[in-house]
Amino acid sequence: MWDWIHVYMWENVFFSLVVAVLVILLVNWMKPSEDVTQVPNRKQSMLELIVEKLNEMVVGVIGTQGKKYTPFVGSLFMYIWCMNMIGLIPGMKAATSYIGITLGLAVATFLYVQYVGLRENGVAGYFHHLAGSPQDGVGWLMSPLMFPLHVLGELIKPVSLALRLFGNVMGEDALIGVFAVLGVVLLSTITGGPTSLESMMGLKAMTTAQMASWQWFGIPLQLPIMMLALLTGTIQALVFALLSTIYIFLMLPHDHHDDGHGLEAHH
Amino acid sequence: MIFAELDASALLALALPLGVALAAIGSAMGLGKAVSTALESMGRQPEAAGAIQTAMIIGCAFIEALTIYALLTVFVLMGRIS
Repeated sequence: MWDWIHVYMWENVFFSLVVAVLVILLVNWMKPSEDVTQVPNRKQSMLELIVEKLNEMVVGVIGTQGKKYTPFVGSLFMYIWCMNMIGLIPGMKAATSYIGITLGLAVATFLYVQYVGLRENGVAGYFHHLAGSPQDGVGWLMSPLMFPLHVLGELIKPVSLALRLFGNVMGEDALIGVFAVLGVVLLSTITGGPTSLESMMGLKAMTTAQMASWQWFGIPLQLPIMMLALLTGTIQALVFALLSTIYIFLMLPHDHHDDGHGLEAHH
Repeated sequence: MIFAELDASALLALALPLGVALAAIGSAMGLGKAVSTALESMGRQPEAAGAIQTAMIIGCAFIEALTIYALLTVFVLMGRIS
């Protein structure tokens, strides 16, 4: 039943490591020089733009004290975005199209959120928060009901994060694959050459001439879908980072109100 | 009689695309409502566009997660069509 999940998983693990190394090298290459009196060059301006936008997103959700969570959320976004995009380069594979990779990222987020909750609330405050932050008698009466509900919610969050990213990326990749095969079938149907549907499906043995046919290039029907994948890959990386930010925000103590930049000022 | 030929594989092959299609219809209706309302409120209040867009993207992610669950279910059950 789960056989389809394990096919080619080593490729995903390999490319996730490749992307991690690439991101580290790229950011190290782009990082500003030690000499702050110099005018920023193009690389530094680009990196500062990315970091600034990510910080803006995190601060927009959590508030001004959310600045310290930008490193985690920002590196999560850049890593996932690069893993989504590497699948569009011929010969490479989107590392996030295997559930092991996305579940690993989601578990990292889960552990970080619990760590932040324990650090910011304290141990007693953490369990008080999990019990639904009871203030009065009714709240304490409801807390045995609320506690398992909140624990279950905390456990479901990483699963839903992982499944969303994995399903989107794998669905997009499967669509690109189907359209690429469709292009080959269409070209050989139009030109009526040796690359027939039967030989492609393995129903008929192929000769060497058929295997070397130029028709394997096909019509690039997958190109519009790949442009769509550029969009959905970015959106899914953004959604993963944004939801992680919100999970961190929900774990923070709510009693202190900041200067009204966070979401908590709106309700 | 065509129904005599219907075994579990044939039923799955019929039901799985229909399942994804139904999930997609529901998701499309939800997304249409969410995005149209968000755009309307962005037009009314352009200065709040950033906050509305963030909330809209989160909502859209939750809505289309349901379609993705349907898609994953189909991918799991596709292995049973022999």
